[in-house]
Amino acid sequence: MSLTRITSVAELHRHLHAALQLEHATIPPYLTALYSILPGTNGEAYRVIRAVVVEEMLHLTLAANILNAVGGTPDLTPPDFVPEYPAYLPDGETDFQVDLQRFSKAAIETFLRIERPAHAEAAGKPRVVKRKKPARGALRASRVADDSDEHFYSIGEFYADISHGLAALQDALGAKTLFCGDAARQVTPDYYYSGGGEIIPVTDLASAQAAIRLISEQGEGIGGGIFDFEDEISHYYRFQQLTLGRFYLKGDKPGHPTGGSVDVDWNAVYPLTTNARLADFAKGSELRAAAADFNAYYKRFLELLTRAYAGQPQLLIEAVGEMFRIKEMACHLMRNPMEGRGKEHAAPTFEMASVAVEV
Amino acid sequence: MSHTHSPAKQIDHMSASAKGYDAVVVGSGVSGSIIANELSQKGFSVLVLEAGPGTGMTIREYEADLTRFYGAASKDNNAAYAVNPNAPMPRSTQTRKLQPGQPNDSGYLVQNGPVEIDSTYARVIGGTTRHFEAKALRMLPEDFDMRTRYGQGLDWPLDYQTLEPYYQKAECEMGVSADVEDQGYLGIAFEPDYVYPMRKIPVSYLDQAVAKRLQGATVTLEGEAYPLTVRSTPQARNGIPNPRYNKGKGFVPTGAVDPHQAEMGGRCQGNNNCVPICPVQAKYDARRTLAKAIGTGHVDLLPQTVASRVLVDSTSGRVTGIEYKTYKNLTSSEYTTGTVRGKVFVLAANAVENARLMLASDLPSSSGLVGRNLMDHAYLLTWALMPEVVGTMRGTPCTSGIEDLRGGGFRRKQAAFRASIHNDGWGWATAAPYTDLLNLVDDQNKFGRALQRGLVDRISRQLLLDFMVEMPASESNRVTVDPRYRDQLGNPRPVISYGVSDYVLEGVAFARRTSRRIYQRLGAEDHSAYDPLEAGWVSYEGQGYIIRGGNHWAGTHVMGTSAKNSVVDSHQRCWDHENLYLAGAGSMPTIGTSNTTLTLSALSFRSGEHIARELKAV
Repeated sequence: MSLTRITSVAELHRHLHAALQLEHATIPPYLTALYSILPGTNGEAYRVIRAVVVEEMLHLTLAANILNAVGGTPDLTPPDFVPEYPAYLPDGETDFQVDLQRFSKAAIETFLRIERPAHAEAAGKPRVVKRKKPARGALRASRVADDSDEHFYSIGEFYADISHGLAALQDALGAKTLFCGDAARQVTPDYYYSGGGEIIPVTDLASAQAAIRLISEQGEGIGGGIFDFEDEISHYYRFQQLTLGRFYLKGDKPGHPTGGSVDVDWNAVYPLTTNARLADFAKGSELRAAAADFNAYYKRFLELLTRAYAGQPQLLIEAVGEMFRIKEMACHLMRNPMEGRGKEHAAPTFEMASVAVEV
Repeated sequence: MSHTHSPAKQIDHMSASAKGYDAVVVGSGVSGSIIANELSQKGFSVLVLEAGPGTGMTIREYEADLTRFYGAASKDNNAAYAVNPNAPMPRSTQTRKLQPGQPNDSGYLVQNGPVEIDSTYARVIGGTTRHFEAKALRMLPEDFDMRTRYGQGLDWPLDYQTLEPYYQKAECEMGVSADVEDQGYLGIAFEPDYVYPMRKIPVSYLDQAVAKRLQGATVTLEGEAYPLTVRSTPQARNGIPNPRYNKGKGFVPTGAVDPHQAEMGGRCQGNNNCVPICPVQAKYDARRTLAKAIGTGHVDLLPQTVASRVLVDSTSGRVTGIEYKTYKNLTSSEYTTGTVRGKVFVLAANAVENARLMLASDLPSSSGLVGRNLMDHAYLLTWALMPEVVGTMRGTPCTSGIEDLRGGGFRRKQAAFRASIHNDGWGWATAAPYTDLLNLVDDQNKFGRALQRGLVDRISRQLLLDFMVEMPASESNRVTVDPRYRDQLGNPRPVISYGVSDYVLEGVAFARRTSRRIYQRLGAEDHSAYDPLEAGWVSYEGQGYIIRGGNHWAGTHVMGTSAKNSVVDSHQRCWDHENLYLAGAGSMPTIGTSNTTLTLSALSFRSGEHIARELKAV
């Protein structure tokens, strides 16, 4: 039996486009929780979420490098690229809901679910399952094919399939045909550098698989362990530190961190409304205009990233400045209570589809 | 990106004093940390004494300092640290205009003049690198033989070639960002194929605007034309790692210091307040090196402990121990005295404190030179408004400078200098942008759009050029101690005598003339003004200037070729005490026109190597 469901370059491209969407889809919920923390409070929690979101950006860029390497063109601008929140991510036999919400116990529970290692084999489950499609907000990521109800059991299985697919297609087509992308499109350390693993330019099967390994293991560790192959603490256990109130050190057992204390003040947070939508803002209000401005700016930012991934990697340097602006605009919204919502504050809505239509 | 280390195991003084160490290092700044790391990596046991509190080795504690800085009304170099009467620090805000014959003893330093110096240093973990700007320029080869070549200052007992491999180590340790192509001027030579660990920090728009207009400009000195080339400045802050570094192995930057992984301290974001504290830990400071040393498991850190006396065996001259005063906390003057012992002792408490401690221990050295030859750089600030908006206040304080007047035959008669183009506007000279805001609101009644436009017009056109003028060694500039002046723990405070010679002032005057020429060429309005009532005012040939300090204290225990002409040898070992090393800029006989940290770090590597050899031989 073939290990992979990917049998053509077109299918590979489809999966990599889906991977880009998936990696990006975690960023709005993480940013919303991150920026909702009152300035000067919850330092440890702030840094934990920030570390994860920085790595998700790395994963997004790695997925773009793989897609570019196999002759695809990353595009962050299709109308459904940013899902409607609540979005649904695959986890075993069900999808689960991911909200745009304030930093809270519920948010961290969701983040743990996003990052939790789930392997079909370990769970004694088939790698592909039939799953009921939620009404909206579902990601393409885990669907085996566009016209199918079949889903990969988990994100881990989805990436494993891309990895197997790359190997199988190289066997079938040869390395030259498969890795036909323009090397100048690769994002290299010249244009990208942050903590948590280096950007890997992808030119062949080995580098593509190294990139996939980095994406999967940064999230869930090696075989679900606390640390990944670079001795870096995985996202799941990073978040768990917030619920357990203590940092992990090397040599700790899962569930029993022994490092310094992590003090969390769940109340030191802007009381954001959950899954804010533009329609919730009073018509004609300044706040609505600010929310619309945010969406327009974010849309332009995704266009900028798309250009950067399509042969102008130097634009990523410029994009760093834009990211500061995104933070400023998000915090601007979060500081303001919403009319007619009691004590709830505004939040960015990340509705890209609304941009052309409004205000 | 964070630099994780095992949780800083801080030893209590009773245990430290009961233990014997291979080496006792006084001070956790860059010299002490490099030497402690070099020795502990080779398995030697090291005790590091730190006068300041033991905080700062976690991001949480670092951010408490950051919050203190944000909340401080005065943003001076030590604004980020708690006031500590048990280990006081000089602050520029304590500098006052002196009246003849009346020292200023209102701050920590007792200033005798004749010229007031507003330089500072920090007594905290990581030392003064905590607030340094992180410029990392190598010295010129000709700086090492100033006396022989130009008849000024003092010669070094070693040359540029000897120090070159250690410069490379220092550039690696501090993580210097620079392009080697920009740095090979006036004889500065690099190993073939050498590249800096990281690429240069991008130069600012302001730099580019200045460079464009200065293209082809020259100044003439003693009949010789010197170009005014704008070059990028090497700096110890994280940039883009150069894949060609280390024969193609590349460079992995270090980041924020913490026992836990935090992804902090990545690439410089251009926050513009590197001095006194980088909000994102992109700038190197010695805590990164100290964290590595602690990670070996061979280093004990004993904070809140001020070395008060070096104990010497009167027959052999060998140091037998260091007496210390360890205090309970920052708010109480309660302390306990004790002694720590080791095979080798290293004083790495900076040029002023090293001299203070030696003199407080009645160890002026057989040369009598401890505390003498006190040097700094004499900074002349000049400021102007550019004809158009140039985006001032973006980037690190300085990304480019003019280096062509750092060396040349004119140094026989007048001091050399380099100039920095400041991205932080007139801040250093006028406390901009705060003063601009006050002026527009209070004096000009501007508000709304007019205020916004006024601020852009005033601030975004600001250009400040600092001229860092060299200051050769002179024995009358010195640190002494005087039993009348003591701190809360009873330790004598440094008494500073400081003057600026005509040789330096000739350089200052030429710097001022050069600035006028530059501003003419740029079409900029010169706003420089020097108030005779301000501290640092000097007059030379009918012109008045304000001289500012650069925190580059040096020369107080110069190295040389014999016990007659110097305090230490080229390995920074005391001629008089074979197991005592005095490390830091205090050992430097000439500092030329380089910020001192890179060179003193190179010296620390060389001394670390030497001490390890000595310890092996024991």
